[in-house]
Amino acid sequence: MLTTALIAIPVLGALLIAVAPLSSYWLGSLAALISLVEVGVWITAAARFDFSSSALQMGQRASWFSDLQVSWHVGQYRFSLWFVGMTVVVMAACTIYGWWIGRDRARAYFALMLLLTGAIVGVFTAQDLLLFYAFFEAMLIPLYILIGVWGGSDRMKATITFVVYTVVGSLLMLAAIIVFGLQQGTFDMTRMGTSSSQWLFLGFVVAFAIKSPLFPLHGWLPVTYRESPAEVSAVLSGIVGKAGLYGLLRIAIPFFPQPVHDWRIVMLVLGSVSLVYGSLLAFRAPDFRGVVMYSSLAQAGLIVLGLFASNSLGFDGAVLQIVNHALVSSSLFLLAGMVERRTGTRGEFSLLGGMARGRPALATVIMTVGVISLAVPLSTSFAGEFLILAGVFQQGWIWAVIGAGAMVLAAMYMLRAISAVLHQDVGPAVSESALDLRLGELAIVVPLVLCLIGLSAWPNLISGRASSSVPSGFTKYAP
Amino acid sequence: MHGPDIQWYVVLSALLFATGALGVMLRRNPLIILLSVEIMLNSANLLLIAMSRLHGGEDGQIFAISVMAVAASEVVVGLGLIVAMGRRNIELDVDKLRTLRG
Amino acid sequence: MAAASWVCLLLPLASAIAITLAGTAIPRRIAGYVSTATTMGAFVAAIVAFADMAGKGASHRGTATTSWTWLSAGPYHFGLTLLTDQLSIVMMLIVTGVGSLIVAYSVGYMDGEDEERRFFAYMSLFVFSMLLLVQGGNLLLLLAGWGMVGLSSYLLIGYYQERESAIKAAKKAFVMNAFGDATMALALFLLVQHTGRLDYAGVFAASPHGGAVANLIALGLLGGALAKSAQIPLHTWLPDAMEGPTPVSALIHAATMVTAGVYLIVRCHPLFENAYVIEDLAAGLGAATLLMAGLIALVQTDIKRVIAYSTMSQIGYMFVGAGLGAYPNAMFHLMTHAFFKALLFLAAGIAIHAVVGEQDIRKLAGVGKLMPFTKWVFLVGSLALVGIFPFAGFFSKDAIIASALDHGWYGDVIYVACLAGAFLTGVYAFRLFFIVFTGEPSAFAREHFHSHHGQEGPISMLWTVGTLGVLSVVGGLLQFAPIWHLLSTWLDPVDAPTAEATTVQEWITSGLTIVIGLAGIAVAWAIYGAKRIKVPRSLPLFEKKFYWDELYDLIWYRTGDLIARGLYALVEAPLIGGSITAVTGIVGLGSRELSVAQNGLVRSYALALAGGLAILTVVFLAVR
Repeated sequence: MLTTALIAIPVLGALLIAVAPLSSYWLGSLAALISLVEVGVWITAAARFDFSSSALQMGQRASWFSDLQVSWHVGQYRFSLWFVGMTVVVMAACTIYGWWIGRDRARAYFALMLLLTGAIVGVFTAQDLLLFYAFFEAMLIPLYILIGVWGGSDRMKATITFVVYTVVGSLLMLAAIIVFGLQQGTFDMTRMGTSSSQWLFLGFVVAFAIKSPLFPLHGWLPVTYRESPAEVSAVLSGIVGKAGLYGLLRIAIPFFPQPVHDWRIVMLVLGSVSLVYGSLLAFRAPDFRGVVMYSSLAQAGLIVLGLFASNSLGFDGAVLQIVNHALVSSSLFLLAGMVERRTGTRGEFSLLGGMARGRPALATVIMTVGVISLAVPLSTSFAGEFLILAGVFQQGWIWAVIGAGAMVLAAMYMLRAISAVLHQDVGPAVSESALDLRLGELAIVVPLVLCLIGLSAWPNLISGRASSSVPSGFTKYAP
Repeated sequence: MHGPDIQWYVVLSALLFATGALGVMLRRNPLIILLSVEIMLNSANLLLIAMSRLHGGEDGQIFAISVMAVAASEVVVGLGLIVAMGRRNIELDVDKLRTLRG
Repeated sequence: MAAASWVCLLLPLASAIAITLAGTAIPRRIAGYVSTATTMGAFVAAIVAFADMAGKGASHRGTATTSWTWLSAGPYHFGLTLLTDQLSIVMMLIVTGVGSLIVAYSVGYMDGEDEERRFFAYMSLFVFSMLLLVQGGNLLLLLAGWGMVGLSSYLLIGYYQERESAIKAAKKAFVMNAFGDATMALALFLLVQHTGRLDYAGVFAASPHGGAVANLIALGLLGGALAKSAQIPLHTWLPDAMEGPTPVSALIHAATMVTAGVYLIVRCHPLFENAYVIEDLAAGLGAATLLMAGLIALVQTDIKRVIAYSTMSQIGYMFVGAGLGAYPNAMFHLMTHAFFKALLFLAAGIAIHAVVGEQDIRKLAGVGKLMPFTKWVFLVGSLALVGIFPFAGFFSKDAIIASALDHGWYGDVIYVACLAGAFLTGVYAFRLFFIVFTGEPSAFAREHFHSHHGQEGPISMLWTVGTLGVLSVVGGLLQFAPIWHLLSTWLDPVDAPTAEATTVQEWITSGLTIVIGLAGIAVAWAIYGAKRIKVPRSLPLFEKKFYWDELYDLIWYRTGDLIARGLYALVEAPLIGGSITAVTGIVGLGSRELSVAQNGLVRSYALALAGGLAILTVVFLAVR
């Protein structure tokens, strides 16, 4: 019931906002309140969750159309609970950010943000393939409008690129879902058996690789992340990309053990290419968002390394790292937005610099998130990377060596970005009127940072045996 | 079973459908076009009911009732549009209403 | 006792957090006092733990306490474990003891900086990180502390944020250390794969003896140690790190963090003993570093850089000791070095502080006449550095050099290198002393010298330096290799040495090093003190620091930049960006052509529908 509530609250909230006779400001407050209620409901769910059990919990099933065995079946596993948690927290931060900066056309904006929240939670909790597909597509609609209406100057190109890429992936996935569901005689993921069809596996993988994104299917990434509003970029890179990775770990890997075994080298190569390629491009990116988005590509590659390591180390590390990166990258995009707003730039490094002086809060927050993002040891992202690389090391030392090399690259590009914004000479666009972070902005990012610090003290909260709760035996074909 | 053979129904239905289709294609007044569409729908309804009677099931009748409901809603929208056009003194000629051309 | 270790670890962290959160709500001085008080509190806690430990039998002194499982996956569990044993307690005492002196010194040194609070928050963070490094009960926590000290070092080197050279140096230090972290992480992956665990005892018991795997494990760990301790070939960051404030150089880049590599080898000595090739490599690299750094130090003109190169050289000695298996000797030198090197840096800091931040020895020349106290403590530090009886360096350095004799021909080669290094030490240390602290003050020094209320510096700077001066004199008495061995006995249960010199060798070496050290001092005196000999022309090879920076710039930075640019120009722009442009172009063209069919005539649409229906009907009928 709680799971359904987690989906229903934002959706109903969106409807309420669409009709409520309120001014823009109060619409925003209402949306912020609903997103916080959502976080509260999730905390309730987490408090009631039985972490010792690896079974599906808080499930709810209602037959939808019985001929095809399609049902409204939602529920949460031990790992999906954390995915839902990161979603509601990041979405709340982003919705409140939109309220804080006073987005125009508030009614549509906040309704869409809440709708998006509901759709993403649905993706992470759906236990029926068609339902999963419906939510996966439902994410697109609000995103399409959010980018197209509130985006930067080149937003139309961004929108079209994004939609073309994702629709192509979705169509492949839909075909794969239909064939797979008809073969199995049910669309219920908890009742499906495994398949050894290479084509179905590839259909799913391509769709998820576009969403994640993975090299070379990341063509939508640069223009979309640069042109979207900052908080939408935060959602895209922090949460929506994770839906692709979630698809890999919930569908592509458990249901297709034989193809996973046959294709794992290809996937590992793709993962490591994404990792190195993203890191190198992040190193030359000329703007703040460029660094963050290419580092997202790199992180997606790293997580794929963990997922296809075919052992519990890599798998648990990947789950942990997904949550870490959701928090890290959304905070970084929000911070990029804040920096851009107060300097009137699009985050070009050539115009920024020296922002640390006189802005201690901004400097502390950027520095904290920055060093966590480059996986400084003792941070939770270090814990995630360590597990992933320790896991993939057992597949072959070369992957871990590439990954360790990428850790050095991460230090290089992230420190470059940090000093380009905070240190050295004061940039031409940085004036006295660019204030330190305001209380409202701190209230948005500090909770995210606190989540990261809390996880750094105890990453085991998430990594502890996520792998054992994946329903099908994914280690079946592990070497 | 009483009444005429099924063929008669089929032929009548085909005639009605052709009448309606011709009306849609040839006339320019939206009111008449709407009327013709109704004739086409009703031809389909006729066929549904006839077949339902032939096979002894009630599915066709249920469908026919659904179609009527949909047709009624459609007429409401269509007539509403036509009345709105008339009020704004827009000429009732579909050939002149080409704003949506590519 | 477990509680004392936790207090010791967490006090500095609490201080760092408190200072950061308090922000401008507290006066700047308070931040300094909080930081000093907590570091001293940690020192007291370390003493409590030490006293408790000393009261127990030798074999019951080590205790490990786990607070919670930090990280786990499948069958693997890595706990947040603190290990307090004979080795870590020595490090804890050094870190918190020397640390609290240096933090107290900073209260005076940093007075008037407008971002003093940030400085003290970073300092506290560093002390926490260093304690985590030495107290961590498994290799994962060691690596965590390893990275955290790297982070705090980065933050502190780049403390003067507006200075481009400082930021560059900070980034260089971090990236080079990240490289070391990466090799260490790889070693840990190997250990996880082969032993399934990372706690010290378990790893030492289960790790393979000899063979490629053992060598690779040791090599990976050595990579981390080389980077952190600035040994060849990962040493180029240390001289640049002198961009940080002087107390930072004293604490991080002399007394504690840079010696972490030595601690690592000593802590993980079973792993290195399983891979004796790597152990020898460590000793060899140490010997090479101590020679190279000594040579470069001869020609440097920045007072802090000279001391930095001397640090590198002294850590070279420690690597020799640790690599050859003389672990207690290496730890002993680590300790005395912490005293006298911190002393040298802090004394130099007083001079720099008094002369408006000038670090060039040609401009500082003769400043000793204006500040006699600083001159004398600097002399004490220099004598300890060169290893003249009875100063601290004498006891510890000789022991390392002597133990090289217990290692075959390889040891003999290293022995000679160490003696040569001792000569160089005498020359560069006293070159610095004679130029800066003797003779008539230069015009610059006279003009810019300003006393602090009639004293050479704030009181907090003077008493701390004085304390370190005393420690540099008496600290060595803890152990005199030929006669008594307090430290070796203490460490024996955890670190039994595999190389020990005989008493005769000890005596001979002691005599030799004193003679050689004095010879070095004499040469320096002749050239720079009495100016009897003309200053020799310096070699460009030394001035350019053996061209390591240029080499790395070429290999890493330029190549990386080139690859990144190439990828963007050849892959990202045309293939990834281009493909989407092409797709949208084709779709756009097609839709423009097709839109002609949308003529807006409802009747033509209806006709198309009816026509299509008719065609379909015909097709179905025909196919049937």
